[in-house]
Amino acid sequence: MKRALPSALSALPAALPAWAITAAALTVLVIVNGLLQPGFFDGTVLQSNLTTFLPLVLVAIGQTYVVLAGDIDLSVGAVAALVNVVTVTVIAATGDGPDAILAGLAAGLAVALACGLVNGLLIGVVGLQPMVATFGTAILFSALALRILPQAGLPVPDAYWQTYGGAVLGLPTVLLILLLAIGFVALLARRPFQTWLKAVGGNRGGAFQSGLDLRRIRLSAYLISALFAGFAALCLTGETASGDPLLGQSLGLGSVSAVALGGTLLSGGVGGAAGSILGALLLGMIGNVIFFAGLPFEYQTLVQGLIVLAALAGGVLVARRR
Amino acid sequence: MKKRWLLATAVAAMVGLMAGSSEAKTFRIGLSNGWVGSEWRTQMIEEAQAAAKAWTDKGVPVEVVVQSATVDAQGQIGQVRNFINQGVDAIIINPNSPTAFNPVFAQAKAKGILVIATDAEVSSKDAIYVGIDQKAWAMQSAKWLVEALGGKGNIVVINGVAGNPANEMRVAGYREVLKTAPGIKILNEANANWDQAQGQQTMQNLLATYPDIQGVWVQDGMAAGAWRAIIAAGKKDKIAATGEIRKDFMTVWASEKLTSGASVNPPGVMASALNVAVLKLQGKAFKDGIFGGVYGNALYIPIPFVDNATLPARLKEAEGKPGYWSVTATVTPEQAAAFFK
Repeated sequence: MKRALPSALSALPAALPAWAITAAALTVLVIVNGLLQPGFFDGTVLQSNLTTFLPLVLVAIGQTYVVLAGDIDLSVGAVAALVNVVTVTVIAATGDGPDAILAGLAAGLAVALACGLVNGLLIGVVGLQPMVATFGTAILFSALALRILPQAGLPVPDAYWQTYGGAVLGLPTVLLILLLAIGFVALLARRPFQTWLKAVGGNRGGAFQSGLDLRRIRLSAYLISALFAGFAALCLTGETASGDPLLGQSLGLGSVSAVALGGTLLSGGVGGAAGSILGALLLGMIGNVIFFAGLPFEYQTLVQGLIVLAALAGGVLVARRR
Repeated sequence: MKKRWLLATAVAAMVGLMAGSSEAKTFRIGLSNGWVGSEWRTQMIEEAQAAAKAWTDKGVPVEVVVQSATVDAQGQIGQVRNFINQGVDAIIINPNSPTAFNPVFAQAKAKGILVIATDAEVSSKDAIYVGIDQKAWAMQSAKWLVEALGGKGNIVVINGVAGNPANEMRVAGYREVLKTAPGIKILNEANANWDQAQGQQTMQNLLATYPDIQGVWVQDGMAAGAWRAIIAAGKKDKIAATGEIRKDFMTVWASEKLTSGASVNPPGVMASALNVAVLKLQGKAFKDGIFGGVYGNALYIPIPFVDNATLPARLKEAEGKPGYWSVTATVTPEQAAAFFK
């Protein structure tokens, strides 16, 4: 009995990637949700679901590159909060027009890159432990966010959130953002950079001896992670139409879970951002299905935890088989 | 297989339509709570469920769907989206943010869904607020404190979370009252994050720093902690301090013969909002000019008060209830009718 599960798994094709379980689970959840919720496949409902999931998808993509190099970034939620309050503050200070919105977006992304630079320098150059360092910078970034905007507020111009909730070039804006993100993931997967990242994460000593610039590679990963946290913050700003210094607190560990569900090893070296997108979507769909299954609310969080654990365990079993 | 599904669905839909024509329409109301971790919130949801059942028993079927989990504003927006996609008739929400829900509430309104915030006000023009005025809540207990001290004395203040909208409204409330009492001197205003243990610790520090305190104005459950520090310091007969509304505290209040008074933020606010929602869903129109508050969308409900005179009656109400049970009050359907034309 003890061996029944692994042997059943070994009957699966050997080339099965680690995120296959996540993809299968996601498919099942989509079907189940479609049965439970009439109208699930309506355009507006799909768009509304994607709007809910998109911030975590973006953060999980960025987190993947850090994790591939064997590091971790716990500060992404705080980066998102800081970018959000900087964006709304800059917009409010420069007026109401399109120029103000663009200035706000640019300022927000600049702040995101600055946060990534701080993380990258502390970890890649100074050599601090990633978990402790990003835990510390998270506190710092949150405190800065509270300092800039002590209380939730500062509405953004209607054009901002109406564009985000609407369509650009005939496509829903959220779908366009997702497609662009997927394009970025596909592009980076073909670049030597991703191979270097895996080398740094999988065998740091070997990577160093083969002449890779570890500092620069790890720093770049933190820049990408913070940049995507910044993108997520801009999406959250579109979703909430205002600033909130306490925004995004669930993004840090949520993104790490999505990355792990997506088949990227937290020890580094193996995986990819495509799996993380599936992982983030899976986390979102679990919450949906539980709601539409009509479970009593007292049990919803419990069941959610159990399903996440089961999905993670499934992925581990598939990975261990090889 | 698929055909059979379609057939079954079609039959079910037809049966549903026929049943619907003979019976009253069921109102579906989504209840969203974004923070778990105090019994007050649990009691809030239970009282709202009971109010829905009372409507159903009266022949107005009301079905509630509950989403309650500790989430950030973004997560609670997800809760609201689920309600919208499910096609509820109304959403009642205890919101985690005053501003973040503006776009999603606009979407709900566009689909004809009634949105009511309770316990914390929201800035959205697409929602209304049914609950207490946090400023008046603070003014009421501050007035009690001024009277209990005979208009003169040194006091300290213990507040909740700096920057939280409800906290800021309360601070504005007691400051306004104390401005009219020149004999009262505020020695210090501290924050203890609405945490009972932190409230107790802060009170200990204040007692140690200022030997000559006659009064304390402290919010919510932190009052129980502050009073514990006062009793431990042997000063319970020399100090008047605001209290709170849980049975456990009221029992101590009575047995230790404390001089206390407490404004009640009743957990029945969500049930009150539900009663208002059902009347609105029945097609009634609000009276003109009835909305107030900073955002102009608030229906304020009465704020009960507990003092030494009314304490015995309140304790009697609490008999047989668990220790964490809070004094409560609900705007009944009959009382809610006064909001409508």
